Order: sequence, then C-alpha cells, then structure tokens
Amino acid sequence: MQKKLFGLLSVLILVSMALTACGAPATEAPAATEAPAATEAPAATEAPAATAAPAAEEITLTLGSWRVDDVAAWEIITAAFHEEYPNITVKFDPTNPPDYNATLRTQLETGTGPDLYFVRSFATGRELFDAGYVASLKDLPGISDTFTEASRSPWATDAGEPYAVPIIAVSHGIYYNKDVFAANGIEIPATWEELMAASQKLLDAGVIPFANGTKDAWDINEVVMMQFIPSNIGGYEGRMAYLNGERCFNSEEMVASFQQIADMKPFLPTGFEATSYYDSAQLFAQGQAAMMMDGSWSIGPFEKDATDFEWGVFYPPALEGKDQYVTFHVDAAVGANAGSPNLEAAMTFLEFLESPKFAELLGNNLPGFFPLTKDVPTLSDPIAADFMAFNSAAKGVDIRFVWEKLLAAPSGSVDAYTSLNNNVIAVLKGEKTPQEAADAFNADVAAWYEPAAACK
Amino acid sequence: MSRMTISGKRNAGLLSNENRRKVTWALFLLPALLIYLTFMAVPLFDSLRLSLYTGQGYTPTKFVGFQNYIDLFTNSLWRGKFLGAVLHTTIFFAIHMLVQNSLGLLFANLLSSDFKGRNFFRTIIFTPATLSVLVTGFLWTLILNPNWGAVNKILVAVGLREWALPWLGRENLALPIISLTSVWQWVGMPTVMFLAGLMGISDELFEAARIDGASEWNIFWKIKFPLLKPIIGIVAILTFVDNFNAFDVIYAMAGAKGEPSYSTDLLATLFYRTGIAGEHPVGIPNMGMGAAIATITFLILMTGVLLWLYLSRRNSEEA
Repeated sequence: MQKKLFGLLSVLILVSMALTACGAPATEAPAATEAPAATEAPAATEAPAATAAPAAEEITLTLGSWRVDDVAAWEIITAAFHEEYPNITVKFDPTNPPDYNATLRTQLETGTGPDLYFVRSFATGRELFDAGYVASLKDLPGISDTFTEASRSPWATDAGEPYAVPIIAVSHGIYYNKDVFAANGIEIPATWEELMAASQKLLDAGVIPFANGTKDAWDINEVVMMQFIPSNIGGYEGRMAYLNGERCFNSEEMVASFQQIADMKPFLPTGFEATSYYDSAQLFAQGQAAMMMDGSWSIGPFEKDATDFEWGVFYPPALEGKDQYVTFHVDAAVGANAGSPNLEAAMTFLEFLESPKFAELLGNNLPGFFPLTKDVPTLSDPIAADFMAFNSAAKGVDIRFVWEKLLAAPSGSVDAYTSLNNNVIAVLKGEKTPQEAADAFNADVAAWYEPAAACK
Repeated sequence: MSRMTISGKRNAGLLSNENRRKVTWALFLLPALLIYLTFMAVPLFDSLRLSLYTGQGYTPTKFVGFQNYIDLFTNSLWRGKFLGAVLHTTIFFAIHMLVQNSLGLLFANLLSSDFKGRNFFRTIIFTPATLSVLVTGFLWTLILNPNWGAVNKILVAVGLREWALPWLGRENLALPIISLTSVWQWVGMPTVMFLAGLMGISDELFEAARIDGASEWNIFWKIKFPLLKPIIGIVAILTFVDNFNAFDVIYAMAGAKGEPSYSTDLLATLFYRTGIAGEHPVGIPNMGMGAAIATITFLILMTGVLLWLYLSRRNSEEA
C-alpha cells in the first residue's frame, strides 16, 4: 500500500504536466515536458546593473507564460525580436497552465518573477496590478492607437490606465465534416432551427450530430453555452445590461440559451455524460460525429488528426429573428514586472508586441490564436481566416459572458462560471428545465453580485 | 545497607562514563529527530498555523483566527462541499473495507492451500498493485468509455444495449465504479499480508483440528480468523489511512473536480482544488482554507488511528 504514496507523488508531478484545461486548452500537452523549471528563471535576470556602455550591454529577459504548447512558435517570435534588437534576448519560459497563477504569484512575492509575463484578463490580472507587481503602461507609446478600447479594457483600470499589452484572442465555432454534410445533402444552416433540423437528419442517417460531452465540464460551458449567449442577449451592450442590473440573469434571453442546450441533448453522443473533451475531439477527428463545437485553438490538432475527410467551420447560427453575435474572447496580454532590473528593455519588447510584424508572426505561427491589434494581418491558415471572417460577418463580437466581473466571487459564494456550468449540465441531464436552470443561475449570482440582486 | 553502599560506590566511580553513555544515546537519535522535525513536525504545525490565515498566493498574511473552520462548517457552499467530500471518502473507504479486504482474505485463504498454478494466481493478483495508478486509471477510463470502451461494446454485442451506461458519467455510479477499480488494483496488498499471516500459523493446529473432525469452514472461523485478527487490524488501519488520503485514482478517472458534479470529490481532491490548484478558470488557491481542510483530514486520521491503537491494546490485554 505504500505504493500509493509514490503514486500520489507521481500524480503531483504529472498534475502539473497533464492538465491543460485552462485559459485556452489544447488537446495535447507534449510540449509540457520542455518547460524548464520555473526556479531557473531568476538567474537569467541578473544582468550587470551598472555598466557604463548601455549600447553594448547584453540583456536577457525572461517571458513567463501558461502556454506550454507554444514554445516553438514563441521561439520564432523572440528570434525575430532579437534580430531587431541584437542586445536583447528574450527567453520564453512557460509554466503549466493549472499552476501558472499560483507559481507566478509566489515568484513575484519572493522577488524572483520573470521580467515579462502573460497576464490573465480582468480580476486575476487586475489583482497583480493592484498589488504593484505589474508596471503601469500609461506611458507606453502607441498602446491606445494599436488596440481598441474593448481589447485594452480587460487589462486596464476603471480609469483606463493600461498595464498589459493585449496579444491573443481566441474564437469559437462549429467544426463540421464537409463530406458527411454533402452525403446527407445538408447546407450550412442559417438559423438555429435549421441547425436542429439538420442534426435530426444526421441522427436519422445514423451519424452522431455533435461530438460534445460533459465529462470534463468546462467545454460544454465555454465552447457551447457561451457561444449561444451573445446572439441571444445582443452582444456587448446586452452583457452590460446584465452587469448593470438592467436585466436579471434569469431573463428570457438566458432561458433561451439554456433552451438551446436542451435542444442539443438528443444530438449528443450516447453516454455524453462520460464523454471527455478529448473523446469529443476523437469522435470528430475519426469521422464518427458530424460536428463539434469547439474553440479556434483546436485548428492545429484537427489539422494533424482529422485527415481522412474535408472539414470546415461555421458559427452557431442565432435563433430565427435574432442578430448574430460572435464570441471572440480576449485571452492573454503581456505585462512587465514592475520590479525587474531591466524594465526599459522589457518596455522595448512590449512595444514590439504592438507592431504589425508581431501580429503577423503570431497569427501565422499559432493558427487559432488571433492578434488583438486593430489592423488584422492576412492569415495564411484558411480555417483561421474563416474564424476571422465570423467577426466581420457578425453584427458584433464580445467576450465570454461571465469573464468580466463575474468570475471572482467572495469565498463561500458560487461564481457565475461555476453556476452556469453546473446549471448547463443539470439541463442536459434532465434535472432542471431551462427556466429552473436560469432561475438557479440568477440566484447564485444575485447572492453576491449586487447589481444582479437589484435587477429589474 | 552494605549493598547500597557498594552500588553507591560503583555509581560514583562510573558516573561520568554512564552520563557519557546517556549523551551518546541521545546523539544517535539526533539525526532522525532533526529529519523528523524538519520534514514532519514543522510542516505539520506550519499547516495548522496557516489554517488560521487567509489571503491569496502561497504566503497568506491576514490572520483570521478560526474563521476558515467556521466557514467550512457554517457557509452552505463550503459545508456542502466539505460534507460531500467526507461522505464520498467514507463510501470509498467502506467499499475498500468490504470488497478489497474480504476478497484479500478469500484469496489468501485459497492461495494458502496447495494446488497447481498457485504461484501463477499469486502473481496475477498482485500484478496490478505494481502499476501506476495513473496508468490503471487511464486504462479503466478507456475500458469504460461509452463510445469505444470494451465494457459497453460487449454489453451491446450480447444484446444488453440498455445496460451500456456512461459508467463514469452518472453521479450514482461513478464513485462505486472508481472504488471498485481501485479495489481491483490494490487487492493484492491485503492478500499478501493475510497470506503471510496464514503461513505463520502452525500446521499442527490444522492437523489437530482435522483429526477432531473440524470442517474447513470451522477451521477458518475457529482457527484462522482469530489468529489473523492482529493482521486484519493492521490491514484495516492501512486501508483507512490510504483511503482518507486517496487522490490519485479520482484524479486519473474523474479529474480534480471529482466529476460528474462533484459526486466523486474526496477530501484530498477538495483539498487540492482549494489549497493548491484553485478552481478553473480563476485558479487562485485559498491556502488558508486548504490548510483548514488538511487539518481536519489529519484529525479524522488521527482519531481513527488512536481508536485502533486503543482497541488493539485492549484486545491484546484480553488475550
């Protein structure tokens, strides 16, 4: 039985390597093993502080991140930067996603944080800024011209003072098997009702319409439910109405979103309760399921795995009579460590992150991760370009519903993310009707979010 | 009188030597004591201290007294999570006690008799215990997978389609099933321990019983079982400690959230989510609350172990 102790140890090691369901999850994490131990980072920052000739000074900056899968792409990006600024070398030094927040915080508290690091949007990043760990970027040239206010605000104070350069957004959509659609005479549906009719047709033909399941829980919430909500509530303005208390969280628009979840139930795989995110991706990639609702980060994995058939993406259509809004989610920004001895060099790198060159390098080396600059470069990956086309075709784009203000519930209260997730699953399991689920969601949020308690 | 004087004299003559011996004895203890203090006692007390603090990150700074404990027992969300974890851990333990240890006793009994292929079966029963929990957990997740798992394929093939359930996706099924896979993996351990115990019982007792006409059934209950009692106690307490610390198998088969819907959430997974990893998507741990959960787990374990010590001492005094 002592073996279990060793088992536990190996789990703790593997925990940090195997978990990828954070921020923008990926279906595989082999690159995790390449992540150097975080404790190595500080050594690199100890550049000579008082040299007389700054022009010749060699500076090495570390860049902390939770994107362990993207080491190769970031090496290309940092190499391009080094070419422009030969005296500055940037070392990409990612931590495994589930540990990132806590590890970074510990490093910052002990003064061993990286010079530059990925900053999470909204509450998590804001907390670091308020604690004085992230340098203010109010004097960074170009930041207000390069990015829209909507892109900047997840990493800015209420007064609009920015503290991180937005770099990555992710999109969402329905991956579909073109061969199966053609074989069953199905066109890309224009409304939700048409999509449901098409799904029924596929089911009758013996094909699993949607590959999605609920075993891992987060995917049904982030890539299914939160794709429905913007079209139902009317994008950004609609979301603000909830945040300001002008609408209740059990409004008819929210019930309609839960109803869409209920509509999908017959079209999920048998045993969807025990179908994990990875299982779903396999069902689609093997051609057993005709569609999968997923994020743009899966372009790479599907290009590798789903090679036996033609596939493409479309956005989940709005209900009949509703305008189409797209969930284009701000995912990552880079900030500078306020305590870094090389703050000036770090600022130089942040400026580089605003350049069209960086946008082009990011968009093309990491298909499915989109630059947040106002001017979007042409993307060479056709699927990534399709995802970008959703944005221009839609009436508007918005971030995921619960991210702003609703994630950080006080201890002992249910945050909106968890509540929405639990209620979506309850609807799928038939434990709650859409109305009951929306009521429960409203009650959970109203318990701690004042505007929701006072909603009309 | 004279004896006292003699011994007094001897003492006086050897005092420094004896004292030195006393000091030497303590010196030999020192390394073990230091290691114990550094790696066991200090972290334990630090974790007790930590449970009285709150704040984010790895160095919570705000002293809140027993607020974490009060929240854990009075806030409906925390209480629900915590009592759920206690209940699931108890069920997990009960299944191991009933199934794993009974099977272990049965297997040991069978393996202690002489028959062909005994070594083969002994190896087979013990083999899973040598594999990593992550590996067996992953294998069982595949076997139980509703889309391509062997279990459901077989059920469908023999015409029992309605029995082909999403085993790990139903709240009432997931915990028993995961417990049983863990039983499957670890049943070799009690088997080996019981077998060793049975081997230690003198054959003369069995021979005498057989001459007196005792059946195998009677031999088991009247001879083997009473003589195995101390080992049964040890196996029970090891199972208890293991199960109340269990994390790996749940993590491998249901994830750190104890899916579906927290129905497989054990004390250790709750502790991991609260104190180490934080909840997706924010992922900021609450170390103080985590330490409070760890402390209560420790208290449960200590109560169990002390109870066992008390009972086993009373037993041995009776005998």
